[in-house]
Amino acid sequence: MEYIGEHLLIGKVGNVFVILSFVFALIASICYFFAARDNDEAVSWKRIARISFRVHGLSVIGIVATLFIMLQNHYFEYEYVWHHSNKEMPMRYILSCFWEGQEGSFLLWSFWHVILGFILQRTSKNWEAPVMATISIVQAFLASMLLGIFVFEYRIGSNPFTVLLRQHPDFANIPLFDNPNYLEKLDGRGLNPLLQNYWMTIHPPTLFLGFALTVVPFAYAIAGLWKKKFSEWLKPALPWTFFGIMVLGTGVLMGGAWAYEALSFGGFWAWDPVENASLVPWLTLVGAGHVMLISRNNPQSLFITFLLSILSFILILYSTFLTRSGILGESSVHAFTDLGMSGQLLIYLFFFLILGIVLITVNFKHFPKQKEEEGIWSREFWMFIGAVVLLVSSFQIMFYTSLPVWNKLFNLKMAPAKDIIDFYNTWQLPFAFLVTLLIAIGQYFKYKNTDIKFFVKKISLSFISALLISLIMGYFLNFSKLFYFLLLFSSVFAVAANADYMIRILKGNVKKAGASISHIGFALILLGALISTSKKDIISQNSSGRSIESLGDKMSNNDNILLTQGDTLPMGKYFVTYTGKRFEGINIYFDVVYFSKNTDGSFKEEFSLAPLVQTNPRMGNVAEPDTRHFLTFDVYTHVTYADLESLKEKKAETKDEYSLAKNYTLKKGDTIYSSNAIIIFDSLSTSFDKTPYNLEKDDIAVMANLRVLDVTKKHQAKPIFVIHNNTIQPIGSKIDELGLQFMFWKLNPKDGNIEISVQEKKENVRDFIVMQAMIFPYINILWIGCIIMIIGTVLAILERLKRSSN
Amino acid sequence: MLKQVQHDITKIKKMKKIHIVGIVIIAVAIGAIFTTINNTSTYASFVEAAKEPGNEFHVVGKLNKDKEAVYEPKVNANLFTFYMIDNKGEERKVILHKNKPQDFERSEQIVLIGKMEGEEFVASDILMKCPSKYNDGKPQETASK
Repeated sequence: MEYIGEHLLIGKVGNVFVILSFVFALIASICYFFAARDNDEAVSWKRIARISFRVHGLSVIGIVATLFIMLQNHYFEYEYVWHHSNKEMPMRYILSCFWEGQEGSFLLWSFWHVILGFILQRTSKNWEAPVMATISIVQAFLASMLLGIFVFEYRIGSNPFTVLLRQHPDFANIPLFDNPNYLEKLDGRGLNPLLQNYWMTIHPPTLFLGFALTVVPFAYAIAGLWKKKFSEWLKPALPWTFFGIMVLGTGVLMGGAWAYEALSFGGFWAWDPVENASLVPWLTLVGAGHVMLISRNNPQSLFITFLLSILSFILILYSTFLTRSGILGESSVHAFTDLGMSGQLLIYLFFFLILGIVLITVNFKHFPKQKEEEGIWSREFWMFIGAVVLLVSSFQIMFYTSLPVWNKLFNLKMAPAKDIIDFYNTWQLPFAFLVTLLIAIGQYFKYKNTDIKFFVKKISLSFISALLISLIMGYFLNFSKLFYFLLLFSSVFAVAANADYMIRILKGNVKKAGASISHIGFALILLGALISTSKKDIISQNSSGRSIESLGDKMSNNDNILLTQGDTLPMGKYFVTYTGKRFEGINIYFDVVYFSKNTDGSFKEEFSLAPLVQTNPRMGNVAEPDTRHFLTFDVYTHVTYADLESLKEKKAETKDEYSLAKNYTLKKGDTIYSSNAIIIFDSLSTSFDKTPYNLEKDDIAVMANLRVLDVTKKHQAKPIFVIHNNTIQPIGSKIDELGLQFMFWKLNPKDGNIEISVQEKKENVRDFIVMQAMIFPYINILWIGCIIMIIGTVLAILERLKRSSN
Repeated sequence: MLKQVQHDITKIKKMKKIHIVGIVIIAVAIGAIFTTINNTSTYASFVEAAKEPGNEFHVVGKLNKDKEAVYEPKVNANLFTFYMIDNKGEERKVILHKNKPQDFERSEQIVLIGKMEGEEFVASDILMKCPSKYNDGKPQETASK
């Protein structure tokens, strides 16, 4: 059949780029391999290698551009475009569509490698050949992920340019494709609403640049082992490593910020496998960067330097495998499903793992030896210990995250503990304590050996002030665990000691203080995380008015509050009201107003939040929280349940129907409740203007003055008790705004008690939401820490670049 | 005896710091492995979970869409009951002490965390796998045209 309007040429162009990028990456790696050997032919090999890598790089850029054009022009004939975008989607999310799929994210990763490769070709001088050989082979593996060709029944890679929607096996025999003009009627499936968020346009490129940057210290380490220049590679690799630390760290923290702002797991860090998968390589890279600093003069640390540099990249590959192979299955919320590439990923992983292990073992005995080991009073020793702590901490996280892998390997049935967050925190807290302690004292040690008197003299000021500050803070924070106090002290100590070092020892020379500044930032991150997590207050927990304990032990995990539209409930130090919902596109916003109570009992509106639920008939509904930020705390609100199903039915219901009346006997001053208001019986009056009620002279008429209070307003209801010709013929009173109707049925002349009935409109069986609200105290310390750490790392890199160019 | 102790001490002194560090690392790593294994629950079926009523299990299964799933937030926002069929084909009533998750009916697979109590499974947490998030949806004509 001839199909109309398909753009098949662009797919062919894209496919040519894919093939070129793979072939030339292979050629570049082979040529660079020969160029790295010390013989006469090396120069000409290098020439071919350079050109090949450039062709490869330009092809990757070509792939990116082609895919981008396809997405922008909505070429839904391609499965990838159809799968990840649609016409309604705002243009700014095109980038998110690009990397939503696995193919796109591999492409993004590969693109960054190309950029890094181009820079290294120009700057790495005589390291170019061995370093680029490794990067080229990495690129060849990555490019194969996009090939999409079959070799002996086994498909290698997944190619976004050759998979047409109408040929996709999942969609065979769909009648739509009997129409040659099917494209006219086709819209894309659209982007996962979770990812339609501005974080998703900046978080993935940052994170992938961080991933990509681990290849540089890896390639240098491999080159160092291969060329037996065991210490020389450290100097050129150092700035790259710290650049990687900065970018990967930023990427990880952005992920946390995204989770905090847009996902609904109630915090910035949930120890989710996907989060751990990017945190752990960062930890090892931080370790690698620090031991690199000492290994230049201290060959004893060479082993751990090689280990950490190589491990960081291997862990990136392992993380990719974990998140993309589908092995995490139900243990993670946002793992990808398998695209049939996990076997390929494993080959990729084992190739580099074995390469690293073999090169280290072969060369281990040739590592330069040191006669005397470093003394306990040297900076080297403590930096080494710090790297070891990071390594052990990474091991613990990775071992637990890999549970599904152990299950598969050893045929076990282990499931993660119910409270994994608590388990991880218990383990990682001591590590965090040790690391911050080392950060505090580290710079006060000198290389080789330190005069203990000098050390004590210099550090005592910050030690004592940190002790005092943390004692005061600890008193107010009143932690439940000893280790919280210890971490509080150690992180305050780290901030104080590094600030002191900057002021007194570096004499405020900011350019040289990169390390101190980034250490302050890191300690602040931990401090903010400690306070905001340990003192997190779920204020929606206990506000229903009922005692939770009376409901038994089982109910202790109740974090939800039910808010009926119009009701005001106490919640923590606030009072909250759900005022209604708004529809904006696919989003439903639920307006929740927070009040505080004045001393006179009146309510004052503090702020309002609009947590939302994104509805997408094809992909399911996603709740997104809304958070009010204050200087010292955040109020986080998130809808856990809303009755979305009955939305349509509600509108159809007749409006004027009232529910059955409820009768009340009241004396003056009594209060009763309707579902949306408080009703107070104030007084009775006999002398009122009777003309509007068509009352006759002989009628006995008494009016009840009822004060009706809803959240924001005061209303009056005046039902009248009437005896007309000896029969009771009361005149009702309505408050249309609240859907309430009052009847005054009886009057007891003796004590003035009255009997009234209240009817509510059925419509008043009002909308409600179930929501969760939390207060995160001092979370801003964490965000400030992030910024300070990034600034500090940039300063450190600049200083190092300046020093190496001199 | 005393000589022996002195001998031991000199032996320890001769040990390089790196060895001490190494021993500590190995100890912590072994600790991490053991606590990890102790801190896990087990994937099980309803029948297996019923054999050890006090212990917490993960049970994987599917929602029985033919039976009623009851959630009445006005009575209790933290109580939701439904019927699930586990992977072995056994069906049990499930009492979840949480809100009903959004999009519950669309779930393809459910993982419950909790204990058997009599004939009912009392769950403290629920994880859902909605394949729709990544895979669902077939090409279809748009309504507008």
